[in-house]
Amino acid sequence: MREILLFALLGLGSGALIAGIAVAIVLMYRGSGIINLATGGISMLSGYCFWSLREGEIASMGTVPALLVTLVFTLLVGVAMELVAFRPLRNAAPLAKLVASLGVLLIAQASMLLAFGSTQKPQPSILPSDVVTIFDVNVPVDRFILVGIIIAITIGLVALYRYTRFGLATRAASENEVSALLAGLSANQLSMVNTVLAALVAGSIGVLAASVTQLDTVSLPLQVVPALAAALLARLTSFAIACAAGIGIGIINSLIDYLSTQSWWPTDHGVPMPGTKELLAFLIIVAAMFLRGARLPSRGELVEQRLPEVPKATKILQPAIILTIVCAVALVVLPYDFRQALINSMIGTVMALSLVVITGFVGQISVVQLALAGVAGFTVSHMAVDFGIEFPLAPIIGAAVAVLFGAAIGVSALRVRGVSLAVVTLGAAVAISNFGFVNRTWGGGDTGSPVPQPEIFGIDLGTEAGFRGIDGNLPSPVFGWMVLVVTVLLCMFVASLRRGSFGQRMLAVRSNERASAAAAIDVRHVKLVAFSVSAFIAGVAGTLYAYNFGSVSADRFGPVTALALIAFAYAGGITLVSGAIFAGLISTQALLPHMLDKWLGIEGNWFLLFGGVILIFTLLQHPEGVAGAFYKSREQRRARRAAAAPPAPPAASSGRPVATVGVDS
Amino acid sequence: MSAVLETSKLSVRFGGVHAVNEVDLRVEEGQLVGLIGPNGAGKTTCIDAITGFVRSTGEVRLDGEDVTRLSAHQRARRGLGRTWQASELFDDLTVRENLLVAARRPSLWGVAKELFGAPVTKTEATERALELVDLAWAGDMRPTDLSQGQRKLVGVARAIAMQPRLLLLDEPAAGLDTHESEDLGRRLRSLVDGGQSMLLIDHDMGLVMSICDHIYVLEFGKLIAHGPPDVVRRDPKVIKAYLGSAAAELADEVDGEPARAADGGER
Repeated sequence: MREILLFALLGLGSGALIAGIAVAIVLMYRGSGIINLATGGISMLSGYCFWSLREGEIASMGTVPALLVTLVFTLLVGVAMELVAFRPLRNAAPLAKLVASLGVLLIAQASMLLAFGSTQKPQPSILPSDVVTIFDVNVPVDRFILVGIIIAITIGLVALYRYTRFGLATRAASENEVSALLAGLSANQLSMVNTVLAALVAGSIGVLAASVTQLDTVSLPLQVVPALAAALLARLTSFAIACAAGIGIGIINSLIDYLSTQSWWPTDHGVPMPGTKELLAFLIIVAAMFLRGARLPSRGELVEQRLPEVPKATKILQPAIILTIVCAVALVVLPYDFRQALINSMIGTVMALSLVVITGFVGQISVVQLALAGVAGFTVSHMAVDFGIEFPLAPIIGAAVAVLFGAAIGVSALRVRGVSLAVVTLGAAVAISNFGFVNRTWGGGDTGSPVPQPEIFGIDLGTEAGFRGIDGNLPSPVFGWMVLVVTVLLCMFVASLRRGSFGQRMLAVRSNERASAAAAIDVRHVKLVAFSVSAFIAGVAGTLYAYNFGSVSADRFGPVTALALIAFAYAGGITLVSGAIFAGLISTQALLPHMLDKWLGIEGNWFLLFGGVILIFTLLQHPEGVAGAFYKSREQRRARRAAAAPPAPPAASSGRPVATVGVDS
Repeated sequence: MSAVLETSKLSVRFGGVHAVNEVDLRVEEGQLVGLIGPNGAGKTTCIDAITGFVRSTGEVRLDGEDVTRLSAHQRARRGLGRTWQASELFDDLTVRENLLVAARRPSLWGVAKELFGAPVTKTEATERALELVDLAWAGDMRPTDLSQGQRKLVGVARAIAMQPRLLLLDEPAAGLDTHESEDLGRRLRSLVDGGQSMLLIDHDMGLVMSICDHIYVLEFGKLIAHGPPDVVRRDPKVIKAYLGSAAAELADEVDGEPARAADGGER
């Protein structure tokens, strides 16, 4: 009993951290309608800032000046974030705003990686390290101070929103932006103040919570997942509930720590079952979505922008043949490192294709695709290790298991859509990664799980096959050819899917679910099939990953990589096969990053930074992505040529004036 | 004659409001039935209930078969084709694809075959439907490039292309001028004369009175009258409830002048 009390009180610390980020998320959502996935990232930035000022990395200041500078820095981060990423997207679709926050997160992470490396930093604590004794239990006093600060901030925010003109205005604007505008309130100013406030809350938590978290580029940013769970329980509106739920989640997490020391707690190779906290956060998110209503409170916004267009491929076979020949030759001719990069690019293309189907065609953003690839990869490994089942049966089973998982997530997507789905799948990605992949029995832990070479009828198709290309090095072009065949076939499949009647049905569902039902389209069926198809494609990518590296490990399929993948897919063109190919070329360890690294000495983390910048730029300038921009300019040229030789005006044939713009009743 | 559509005690409640209150409708095979009533009378809600877009009580029978428990897309599949006041098109598809996606329901095998062959770009039904609303020239355009009135016609064409047993049109003529509205009326009438059963909601009294075989009048969710146009227009309850000040102009119409007063009076 004493220990339970001890752990519950210790949990106040991480609870305060989660609550702080949750309150910041709510603040930001109410202020500007953005679910900011980068909220934990801001905490991290401020943490790094304080550390570097205090510990001699940049300066060796005293606590107070360092704190002041950090606050100013956080404020500037908030202003920059608002001006560069969020204000230009004020009237964009909610999904675009969410993806923009993803870009902010990537930029924050990549810049800290570049500046300070990936090792953990010893964050100095500014709270007293005394111990107080309560009911015979010794608890560090900073836990209470932290919770006290968060509760004070929450009370302050509640008061600010309830009793000031600013709060009233924000509430009005979040109810209905149009009428707020008519009432003479500037949505831009309100949004700016709220964003800066949110940044300050998140930032100060990042500095204060040093004693309960680590300072690195992953821990703090990913605290956004339990924080989202708390914020969703508060329906993204109530500060008090968000704060209480955050503290509650922290206490439960701490109790899980306690319970996992018990003998009856399930273990995995002698260590307590990993990932239970992440699983809990995911379950809370799902429960919040289902119990408290699938729909987030929506805002009356000025303009609703649609997702980027989905052009049809005019030719499929011809570009496919050209691509195949070029790549097949390149695989033999290129030196080994470029050969490897080309193979990575092709696998990245397949990964992006799965996003083209689910996000581009059906408009459902799914962060879980890379985790599905991981499921397939680990299945291939365990088929071989545990059951002796190898190529070609193992990858088929792997893809099938990925489809099962994808369909299960698709079932949940029948009730949640858009932004909510992105949050659910983010929770799922984190849970699958930590609960599944890190587990050494089911996954591979951090050491990885081996994958044997693919072989059929005695012919080695793997990376170590006999034929080694011109320079005679690993990996073998034979494996590259196999990846090429799979990639080209899947590209053709997705392109013809778009042209066919199922593609039309997916786009119909994306455009208008109500009208789809009236057109006799089974919306649930279409979504479920689309989820399965994209899970299948992700699963194929996962098995290729597995054979490519000869082993599978958890870090390759982690949530941070998954978010980067979405950024690259968006930048390439989320609605196009050619966009997926472009995304493949710029993805991690692919051709473009490799060339920059080799010739210009620009390391991979720079590319992550570029990824974030390109993502935001794409959202602002070319929502259809790089490939879409190409396509558009080609269409425009074609239209101009057609206009030079005009055909008979279409309206003339109708024999009556074209209907006037109508007055809708 | 047999009934294509029959509702009995069809009711919809929104909180404490009875939006549709025990409505019994009947559409015979090959008949054009009008559904009229003042604003907020529950006409659109009635169509929503028949086609399964709103939770309702009572019974809906299509060709004698109870479809009350079926979802919206299943009812559409059985032959209830509808349009909306706001055209609700698929803006990501071309006009022709809008029709095609509603008209065709290929099997899984058909979808698989399409992956290898050239996709179907039009069918007889889509072309006929486009022809009927005079939009064949716009087939390859995006709905967003059309005017509001044209968008509405695309919605009508999409429902027609499904070759439904019963076509339910929610104010297809709103947004069209007098000339176009009359033109549309003639086309709809010819469709009905070809055997299509139809339920029509419209504010344009001239249109409804001139083309319908039978008219139902709703007020506050309740049916207050029904019968052939001549009977309904003389019904004192209808004149009082629905037409009010427009009654005088209605009398004009009896003398052969088209009346469009209700149109303006309602908005």
